Amino acid sequence: MGHGGTSRGCWSSAAESADGTGPLDASGSDGPVKGLRSLDGGPLHPAVPGLVQQLDQGQIDRRTFLRTLSWLGVSATGGAAATLSACAPGQDGQSGDSLRFACAIQQITDPALSTWVEASNIYRNALEFLTEVDADNITHPYLAESWRASEDLKTWRFNLRRDVTWSNGDRFTAEDVLFNFRRWLSPDSKSVNRTSFSAVTDVEQVDDHTVVVHLSRPLCALPEQLYAWTCPMLHRRFDADGADWPRNPIGTGPYRLAGFNVGREARLERRDDYWGERPFLARIDYVDLGTDISTHVAALSAGQVDILYRVTIAELDLVKRVPGAVLVEHEAAQTLVLRMQMDKPPFDDRRIRQAVQLAADNGAMLALAYRGRGQVGENHHVAPSQPDYAPLPRQRRNLPLARQLLGEAGHPDGIDLELTLGNTQGRYEQDTAQVLQQNLAEAGIRLKLNVIPAPEYWSVWDKVPFGLTSWAHRPLGVMTLDLAYRSGSVWNESRFSNPAFDAGLDRALGLLDPRERAVEMARLEQILQDEAVMVQPYWCRKFTAISPRVRNYPVHPSDYFRMTGVTLA
Amino acid sequence: MSLHPLALPLLRRLLMLLLTMAAVSFLVFLVLEVNIDGVAVKVLGQFSTPDQRAAWLRENGYLDPFLLRYLRWLGRFVTGDWGVSTYYQEEVLTLILPRLAASALLAGAALAVMTPLALALGVLAGVRPGSLTDRTVSTLSILTTSAPEFATAVFLTAIFVITLGWLPGVSTMAGGFSVRELVLPVAVLVLASTGYIARMTRASMAEVMASPYIRTALLKGASPMRIILRHALRNALVTPMTVIMLQIPWIVSGVIIVEVFFAYRGFGTLVYQAALNSDVYLIEACAMVSVAVVVISQLASDLMQAMLDPRVGLGALAKKGRS
Repeated sequence: MGHGGTSRGCWSSAAESADGTGPLDASGSDGPVKGLRSLDGGPLHPAVPGLVQQLDQGQIDRRTFLRTLSWLGVSATGGAAATLSACAPGQDGQSGDSLRFACAIQQITDPALSTWVEASNIYRNALEFLTEVDADNITHPYLAESWRASEDLKTWRFNLRRDVTWSNGDRFTAEDVLFNFRRWLSPDSKSVNRTSFSAVTDVEQVDDHTVVVHLSRPLCALPEQLYAWTCPMLHRRFDADGADWPRNPIGTGPYRLAGFNVGREARLERRDDYWGERPFLARIDYVDLGTDISTHVAALSAGQVDILYRVTIAELDLVKRVPGAVLVEHEAAQTLVLRMQMDKPPFDDRRIRQAVQLAADNGAMLALAYRGRGQVGENHHVAPSQPDYAPLPRQRRNLPLARQLLGEAGHPDGIDLELTLGNTQGRYEQDTAQVLQQNLAEAGIRLKLNVIPAPEYWSVWDKVPFGLTSWAHRPLGVMTLDLAYRSGSVWNESRFSNPAFDAGLDRALGLLDPRERAVEMARLEQILQDEAVMVQPYWCRKFTAISPRVRNYPVHPSDYFRMTGVTLA
Repeated sequence: MSLHPLALPLLRRLLMLLLTMAAVSFLVFLVLEVNIDGVAVKVLGQFSTPDQRAAWLRENGYLDPFLLRYLRWLGRFVTGDWGVSTYYQEEVLTLILPRLAASALLAGAALAVMTPLALALGVLAGVRPGSLTDRTVSTLSILTTSAPEFATAVFLTAIFVITLGWLPGVSTMAGGFSVRELVLPVAVLVLASTGYIARMTRASMAEVMASPYIRTALLKGASPMRIILRHALRNALVTPMTVIMLQIPWIVSGVIIVEVFFAYRGFGTLVYQAALNSDVYLIEACAMVSVAVVVISQLASDLMQAMLDPRVGLGALAKKGRS
């Protein structure tokens, strides 16, 4: 995983302990099944012995093994909850301290509709999820204390915690869970969750604290998907109360929203009646410092804020030199996708898309626009760091073939294309596009760049024929593929539609066996490459800066920051 | 009938002011609201359905003729109903007023430093053209004026925030008003404009100092101090004062770069955010406020010029009014 950062979060340390020579060590003489138990105390899922055998024979690595077990509600070291609470400070660790977090304060209304991870980091303090996925992509219990899957992975039973109360005093029950699933899945739902959970046919309430989810097809990572940032549990009266969370900020989380002003600040105050262990910080103030990140670094250096949400490759040298700023960097499956819309000319001609892909020099874009701080992408949107990545033969740049394809498509004298981008994550997006512009020119493709302001980009990101979109990290490659390339999915910005691909997605999403899934993934990746859906130049390493006072800042590849364990020195 | 000689020209000026604002308001409305579907998307959000948008357009009178919609909008605007910002979800009027006050504070602080400094430097340089003082002031003026605000802001931040650690890096005033947070934005504005005003003052001063009546005063045996303060200064100030007045609209609505750089929550940042977010009603209101600031400060500048320069000022204005 390579968390090169100076600040390792509590999740990382929990994973470290699991990496050590515990009862799970494959070389242990006690036999690897010892130490495994279901979170609900029942028998282990029938797939577990096979996974143990694969680990034993060295066919899968420990992390893949642990991750797969965690989907099945099987814990390796006496319950993941234990490792989580171990890093949270005890009652005596509470303080009156407040922390200031520099972050864009964007509009929030319905969390299930949010399109910005920043917004979710504000409500993540006050709203909670059924499960939690740590920085090593291992799923832990959260509002659901345990779960169990049927052998065919089509029926999932979730047992909810019984001690959770909403900030308005109501008890958190199965009714709330049902409410959330139903609004995600309703036919007029605009939430991306409708795509992620399209396999869900029914959600059934067994009793006040038990929910059974029925699926039309096997889904092995359902618990992991429930930690997506659009899946916080909202109170059952959320819609009835106007579907506007900041106006009616009921939550189960350790903090309550005490103030919210778009473009200015959001204030979160510790709840005394929180069900779990109470966090160290009494207050977190999120402040919007505008769009200029070098200003954020100056504010950090002057002690005006304690944590920056992000710095980009452009501020890297500044952060290294400025006193009072600690650089934090980590790897993530975050990338830029320069996708072409299949249904809009000239991109409805595969030869044009292929010509673009063949002329693009992904290595050059990484080296020049991102200073080599990442990994070269392979135009299929699955990262080597993701557990379900399957290596394919390397694609090579081929200018003569690109020109030939252009000629065959009726453009022997080259073609004019326009790429729209919004620098949503930083100026490196434009730098990347400029390198591509030069790459394509060598094949006779004249690329015009249409640079628009970031917020404007998010209103056209899925409409422009050729656009550069930044995609956040997902724990599994197949999750990204499901969100972005399944026929008709809400976030399918390339309008890619391929029945064989959709069927392969269904299979891959249901395959528990990591090796079988890799075979399926190789097929999916190959389809995306062959169809030349996108130029996906590189995977971006991520950077941010924090004050040296901040301890236990939980770096997370998805930027899902839980502030519960954070302390100030 | 005893009308003040200034009343009529003033009324004419005010009428022009209103006409200018009306013209601008029509243009603004034309640009932002002629495409009603665009307005509906901005107000209801990208997740709204075509049905919702159609219903919203119907309910809010967007299907009426353009001119009727404009007049209705103008009527609401005049009565203080400026609509609700789609991004901030707040009344535009209550959103703009504190921002305008914040920018006025910044402008006031900058002018309070800039005006005496620039005038003093300009007078010092203009009294004896060609002297060492004159050359030093002129060189410094050109240097500071030619450095753009964004560069000055970066330099000052690098020195005073990052290297020396004396001053805060952002001026959000999140914890209430803070003089320390005002220092850097004011310094950037002062550096950007002082040189220009100083050079204007110098030129004006040099011209006055070379005029016959100063020579007469000198021959009369008046002391240099008396000549500068009593005879030269008043006449030399006419041009610089006009320039200073013209700085006001620039500082209030034009220093977007400085406000955005320091995350200062003034009018400039608001305009910038409104434009970025295509916040229709906010952009309309901001445009109108900007025009009002420009027109009013021009009027004030005319009045001030008239007061400083009795030769042309009041008389000319009054004569123009009568003719």
